Amino acid sequence: MNLEALVDCLSSASCAVTQVSTGLIVGMLLFLVTSGLSLIFGVLGIINFTHGAFYMLGAYLAFTAYALSGSFLLAMVAGAAGVGLFGILFERFVMSRVYGRDILMQLLVCYAMILILDDGVKILYGGEYRMMGMPDVFALPPVEIAGGFVPGYYLFMVAVALAAGLVLWLGINRTRLGKIVRALAINPQMVGALGINTTLLYAGVFGLGSLLAGLAGALAAPIRTLTPGMGVSILIESFIVTVIGGMGSIAGAFLAALLIGFTRAFGAIGFPLFVDGLMFALMALVLVVKPSGLLGREAA
Amino acid sequence: MRAGLVRDLAAALAGLGLLIALPMLFPQPALRDFLIYFFAYGLMAMSLNLLVGLTGLVSFGHAAYFATGAYAFGLLMQSGLVPIPVAALAAVGGTALIALVVGAICVRLKEIYFSFITLAFQMFIHSIIVTWVGLTGGDQGLRGGIPRPPFLGLDLNDARVLYATCAVVFVLCILAMRQVSQSPFGYTLRMIRDNPARANFLGVDVTAMKLGIFVFAASMASVGGLILALFVSGAYPEFAFWTTSGEAIFMIMLGGMKLFLGPLVGTLLLQTLNHFVTIYTEHHGLVLGTVILVIVLGLRRGLADFLFDAIQARRARRAAALAAAAPAAFAPAPLDGRTV
Amino acid sequence: MGTKTLSRAPSRRQVVGGLAAGAAITGFPHIAGAQAKAIRIGMPTILSGRVAILGTSSRAAAQLAFRQINEAGGIGGRTLELIDRDSKGRPDEAAKVTRDLINNDGCEIIIDGEASSGAFAVHEVIRDLPVLCVHTCSETSSLSADPKLHVRTAFRCARQGIHDAVAGGTYAARIAKQKGLKRWMTCSPDYAYGRDNTAEFLEFAKMFEPSIETVDQVWPKLFAPDYTESITKILQTKPQAVYSALWGGDLVAFIEQSNLYRLFSNVAMFSGGLGDPPVLTAIKQLPPGLNTAYRYNRNYPAKPANVAFADAFAKVAGHEPTNWAWQTYLGCLFVAEALRRTGGRTEGSALAAELKGMAVAAPFAVGDAITMRDTDHTIIGYPVAWGRTVPKAPFVEDFSDVDWGRIVELETQWKKGKGYA
Repeated sequence: MNLEALVDCLSSASCAVTQVSTGLIVGMLLFLVTSGLSLIFGVLGIINFTHGAFYMLGAYLAFTAYALSGSFLLAMVAGAAGVGLFGILFERFVMSRVYGRDILMQLLVCYAMILILDDGVKILYGGEYRMMGMPDVFALPPVEIAGGFVPGYYLFMVAVALAAGLVLWLGINRTRLGKIVRALAINPQMVGALGINTTLLYAGVFGLGSLLAGLAGALAAPIRTLTPGMGVSILIESFIVTVIGGMGSIAGAFLAALLIGFTRAFGAIGFPLFVDGLMFALMALVLVVKPSGLLGREAA
Repeated sequence: MRAGLVRDLAAALAGLGLLIALPMLFPQPALRDFLIYFFAYGLMAMSLNLLVGLTGLVSFGHAAYFATGAYAFGLLMQSGLVPIPVAALAAVGGTALIALVVGAICVRLKEIYFSFITLAFQMFIHSIIVTWVGLTGGDQGLRGGIPRPPFLGLDLNDARVLYATCAVVFVLCILAMRQVSQSPFGYTLRMIRDNPARANFLGVDVTAMKLGIFVFAASMASVGGLILALFVSGAYPEFAFWTTSGEAIFMIMLGGMKLFLGPLVGTLLLQTLNHFVTIYTEHHGLVLGTVILVIVLGLRRGLADFLFDAIQARRARRAAALAAAAPAAFAPAPLDGRTV
Repeated sequence: MGTKTLSRAPSRRQVVGGLAAGAAITGFPHIAGAQAKAIRIGMPTILSGRVAILGTSSRAAAQLAFRQINEAGGIGGRTLELIDRDSKGRPDEAAKVTRDLINNDGCEIIIDGEASSGAFAVHEVIRDLPVLCVHTCSETSSLSADPKLHVRTAFRCARQGIHDAVAGGTYAARIAKQKGLKRWMTCSPDYAYGRDNTAEFLEFAKMFEPSIETVDQVWPKLFAPDYTESITKILQTKPQAVYSALWGGDLVAFIEQSNLYRLFSNVAMFSGGLGDPPVLTAIKQLPPGLNTAYRYNRNYPAKPANVAFADAFAKVAGHEPTNWAWQTYLGCLFVAEALRRTGGRTEGSALAAELKGMAVAAPFAVGDAITMRDTDHTIIGYPVAWGRTVPKAPFVEDFSDVDWGRIVELETQWKKGKGYA
């Protein structure tokens, strides 16, 4: 523990700015991945363990699109839309067949998909480390805010993640479609009985959740190394975030992702060796005290 | 003595006889190696099924106890203070103790939350193993081999003796698990799985029962771990990683949960598949993933369960056919009789 | 579930059937015939997951070496045949495939392409089944330095942590003295290798330049995707120099993310892993002037044979050789030479007797040859130089070497301190 350093940092504007931005950078990308995971769980009631692999797929799709076109915008669209489409196909042809079955069946199907995607990526791209490269637009010196420095690309990344989260939240809570989706989560039979095509909705929601993972992968491609199996660590982290925030709660995912981000950012200064242990401990604590998570609905 | 016990004992003896006879018929060392891995992972899968199939507790963190068994045994043997049987018993006892503490927290949670917290504890144990380098060797595992001093006239450095000992231990553990699952305790667990509210209403202490089976299953998994540690002469943090738990779940699903020995079928299938696929291609992920998808989407259940259901259905059909055929077959007889 | 009566019959039958399937394994037609001309060499390695490049590049190097040896007439007319198996990065699987390679596939020699824990697992198999084994990827010093772990037929043909530490410390101390770098920080992955490597580097750097002071250390997780909090911590602490034991994909991410903060414009960087060509090529904007240990370079040692190796390897693998590639290639040269000297006999003890103290004139030798030291079965005389990065290929230049006599001297001291000698 080094609380003195922590207090010192908080009392200096430059340190505070840098660390707060670090928390946001770490947290927001995590939020983007987690929101998709949480959305799918909230509406479909299944845990999409392939989410990490989808993130990987998004990164590789963006990598390819960028290499072909040189346009980062196109790379982002390719990563997000490509994975969204893949998600819909996966839901229609695979996942929908194990609805209502044992959670273990779903787990197994996801495990199979992870194996296939990891191997597929290795066959297509090889085992080498890949890096998409920073688009020229962002090749600028870091922006100075009150003596602290924040790289331009990270500002963009955080903004996109926040915007995506906001659109998602508004879409679910303020639109008619969102209402239907919320109803679908609670009583699918009733929604079906009202003449709404629930099959289409399920596929759509799954696709949207996957799209968010793909978008996160595309945003990560310029700054993180692309390797087969890169989805594993992000899956575990977003899993922790989902559990802490509350399964199925987008707002909870946001809160928990920020919590993890700030724990990492300020933990690096105050209690450097304990950050990982703290994450597991937090998860266990939440499970014991309030299994439904910080903002999750109480389990029936 | 239960009639079932006699039958179980007979089956166990026959199984043991078979396991001992096989390497004599096929003396290649590769078969022995294969079977020892089968024993180790088989015990993990079987014990996990006591939680998943019997009690309805889907644990995502079972490999943690596989690993603690391996590490405790390896560390005790490396200390050179105790003979193998004592180290083995202490490893199992130690694991039971850890499982008692972890389980006491976990079994209070329901359904998916139970799965999550077992996973969290497994990751916690894994990070302890990786972090505590002074004791465990960290990511490089227990180095320098695990000594196998002779005991009771058995020299485990002889591969055949090692194999036979593992086979005996394996069969004993399977027999013990069988007894537990057939005992009144086992039937109480089934009731808890099917209707916990009813069990509670009948005065069953659900939490204590769940904790009991949690500790027992963990102990059995630790035996698997120590067999593997004894064989590979080391223990590694990968034993406690979540992928190992995932594989155990996978074995159960592949084999099936309905039959007592279903998980063993799954273990055998996965081990065999893994063995051959790895020989022929490095793209085993692709092959294995496809096989799983075909089994899950095609059969929609484990292979042993599928066969079991198919046999059930055939018997039912035959019975139905007999019942249907009976009037048809016998009906003419009186008619004939009347004509005669 | 009403299985208590019906479950028995089918289950027992299935088990019997299953065991029969298991028995079929031994009938697998991988046993070489008695008159087989090829000498089979098995290679357990990691071909999948995050570090797949370790295995794929090691395998490519072994294939290249064997092809060249076979084209040159093999070993007294017998060819060398490589059989590789993926251990998936799991040590127990590494032990299993190694046993299978020896027992089932008739492999008479093992080239072990496993990293850290897997190498120790293979090491134990070799203790049990004493064929010749050459570890070509594990850099952990204790594998060969600790006499308790010694296995008579096992050798290491790979760089060793302690050698790198002495070389790195010597180089770092020199630069620190020149440029007045006193305040140091480290940023290494949080696992046994990362911590040992960092501690040893600092120990020797401080021994040679006592003014060096460690102001802080950060330990990101192994395989962490994001290093922002470590980077901003470095920015806050404002050290004059940073040492990092990060390697592979982790290092690529760390450098690119540091670039966003312009970290290296104010801080001198010393890296143990940056010199690996796949890392250098993956980084899109390689900052100039970073100090790195040699991992592999086609221009160093500057020998035609080295360039020829790099070209031939690139043709097979599609990328520049990795550190693991030259080590495996060299391991194959050692094995082939030992086989020549035994006249094709493959008994572990016979080959081991030849390998002890063997010197091979390899393309990578700093002097004339790289030697397999007979006392502890590990190589010396390989490149342990440090150089500086430049943005264009071959990415690292200006290598300065460290005298091997001095390394061995300090290594001996270190061994005494550890109780190894």
